[in-house]
Amino acid sequence: MKPMLSTDLNVTDTAVEKAKIEVKNLNFYYGQSKALKDINLSLPERSVTAFIGPSGCGKSTLLRVLNRIYELYPKQSAEGQVLLDGKNILDRSQDLNLLRTKIGMVFQKPTPFPMSIYENIAFGVRLYEKISKAEMDNRVEQALKRAALWNEVKDKLNASGQSLSGGQQQRLCIARTVAVKPEVILLDEPASALDPLSTAKIEELIDELQADYTIVIVTHNMQQAARVSRQTAFMYLGELVEFDRTEKIFTSPREKRTQDYITGRFG
Amino acid sequence: MSTAASLHQSRKRKNAVMMALCVIAAGIGLAWLALILGALIYKGLSGVSLSVFTQMTPPPGDAGGLLNAIYGSIIMTIIGIVVGTPIGVLAGTYMAEYGRFSRLTTVVRFINDILLSAPSIIVGLFVYELMVRPMGHFSAIAGAVALSILVIPVVVRTTEDMLNLVPNALREAGTAIGAPRWVVIRSVAYRAALSGIVTGILLAIARISGETAPLLFTALNNQFWSSNLNAPMASLPVTIFQFALSPYEEWQQLAWTGALIITLTVLGLSIFARSLTGRREDR
Repeated sequence: MKPMLSTDLNVTDTAVEKAKIEVKNLNFYYGQSKALKDINLSLPERSVTAFIGPSGCGKSTLLRVLNRIYELYPKQSAEGQVLLDGKNILDRSQDLNLLRTKIGMVFQKPTPFPMSIYENIAFGVRLYEKISKAEMDNRVEQALKRAALWNEVKDKLNASGQSLSGGQQQRLCIARTVAVKPEVILLDEPASALDPLSTAKIEELIDELQADYTIVIVTHNMQQAARVSRQTAFMYLGELVEFDRTEKIFTSPREKRTQDYITGRFG
Repeated sequence: MSTAASLHQSRKRKNAVMMALCVIAAGIGLAWLALILGALIYKGLSGVSLSVFTQMTPPPGDAGGLLNAIYGSIIMTIIGIVVGTPIGVLAGTYMAEYGRFSRLTTVVRFINDILLSAPSIIVGLFVYELMVRPMGHFSAIAGAVALSILVIPVVVRTTEDMLNLVPNALREAGTAIGAPRWVVIRSVAYRAALSGIVTGILLAIARISGETAPLLFTALNNQFWSSNLNAPMASLPVTIFQFALSPYEEWQQLAWTGALIITLTVLGLSIFARSLTGRREDR
């Protein structure tokens, strides 16, 4: 049996934590052009990892490999391994729809489906579960509460999801993602289209969600990365330049390029 | 006077001339429309009575109505839409969804555009060769097939256009929640594009309900009541064509009335279609 030592407290190195996702020798191509170059990365379970870097550095591309959403488009291909709990999701035999129920995603622009608030959440649940109306009601309520939206919409669950404000729509999208009980949540610049107040709410939410989910967030906003994440990966021109604990990246980065980027010298 | 001021004056003059030309051109266009509508209402309205909708087309010199022609038009339009719409919607769905990046889509779109602007009389001749000659007689079903061939390109075009307007982000969102492709299309893309697709179908109805040429070679006409799809059937446009050319006053009056009925129906459909798209833009 493994002893539970109280002295474990000073062990903060991410390497010893259980990895939820391991990226190994990942290369990614848009047609002929190489967008990701030999990425190696390990995302610890139940914590927030941020991908930062200038536009076109490949951070969104990397995120889109993790649930293989890139497969919607022809001429995009990935090589290497992405292990989810040790199983390679880039394998041909991987069922994509099942993968995506395990790895949810929230996009930059809020994308409520053209249906009611209730249906927006029930839609995903219904795809893989047969549950009664009462259970579904409960599930919708729990998801909306989890996304801190319940109090604002509980009296108008039948209103169109598109009638909500931008910030509410984004929280609806998070609720919708949480409702299908994923293990990982990918956030692609989830607050970049929102006002500061809505951004604060989303960040608060991310902080709460990390107790139960492994979260990966792509952001242009370095302060946001510093505020919400535990680990940060700095990417540049398709390469992973540096990956470390967030405090380390923002206070004493190893690489000069990281230093230059976070101090605003380029990007 | 400085050059700047004279330049300003000359620009103002040019602007006034151009604006006057534009207003006149718009006025001419509208004037024709108003004249046509005015003539239709003036000549057609006086003939509108209950008997138009309850009696058959009369022999020359007799009083009668347009019931068999109205019935024939409705029946053939309905069959044309029922046959043409699913084909059009499915083809449009292939082009905008499954085959979005395929070469076949470019080819189909090109051919569809040709079909869209093909003279309808050619479609009539085509169906004549395809159905009327082998069957040995004109029939309502041949007329309906000709109309459905006219429906398909309209519906293909609007369905593809409307689905292409659905943001990709929405498809990605549907996919990201674990929905298979067909569920994303059915529950997300169709829903987002619904009013546009319905508008396309309404416009197709408006288009075929006034078509004469494809029916001349297919359904022909029928002086009497007939609900037999395997026999010639009357329709409003062909009846108008025949009656308007005749020397008999009663027939000419019925032609005006029939023209008014078609025009008002098409106008109503177009306004309804407009209101559907309008509502989407408001959102």
